Amino acid sequence: MAREQRERSSYRRYFPPKRKYCRFCERNIKEIDYKNVDILRRYVPERGKIAPRRVTGTCSFHQRKLSTAIKRARLLALLPYVED
Amino acid sequence: MRHYETAFLISPKLDEEEMEKLIKKMADVVAKKKGKMIKIDKWAKKKLAYSVEKNNEAHYVFFHYEGEPDIPSELERRFRQTEPILRYLTLRKEIQPVTKKKRKVKKKKVEEIGEEKDEALSDSDELVEEK
Repeated sequence: MAREQRERSSYRRYFPPKRKYCRFCERNIKEIDYKNVDILRRYVPERGKIAPRRVTGTCSFHQRKLSTAIKRARLLALLPYVED
Repeated sequence: MRHYETAFLISPKLDEEEMEKLIKKMADVVAKKKGKMIKIDKWAKKKLAYSVEKNNEAHYVFFHYEGEPDIPSELERRFRQTEPILRYLTLRKEIQPVTKKKRKVKKKKVEEIGEEKDEALSDSDELVEEK
């Protein structure tokens, strides 16, 4: 066990996990439009659920905007509520 | 005066003429109430993500206009009465003046991102490849 842990920590030192960041902050976007389906699609994986912040690295401000945009797009049948 | 954006879906069963008539009727409502139409966006027939009233396609129409709050309520009342309209959504758009403080915060953010730029660049490359 101990050895395994040490191996893992050294592995982490040489290959740190890729730092996630908010792609909306990077481009200085204030409003997220519900009509822009191409962007919204990236944040709804196969099942059509909204991807959590811990996965995408979006900041809390933009995650809130993003989730309302996705919900509006769903109402207008631009995005699915459920997909299988 | 407020800035509104109204979107609605028209059933594919209507032909072009009927659709134009319907759109004109709705645009007249805005004009009658002394609203100022800024833009009418029409998308070509588009596939829906899920079927609405057994339709798999629909025409998307977007109105951008300025006016008093009685315009969207009147429009929505009409939407409910007309059968070929499947869905509608009205949003109030706010035009926010950019204050100095906000700009400062954003500049800082850009600098922070600048440090990680190498990583960011490689990341975006990967995204393109995936597509």
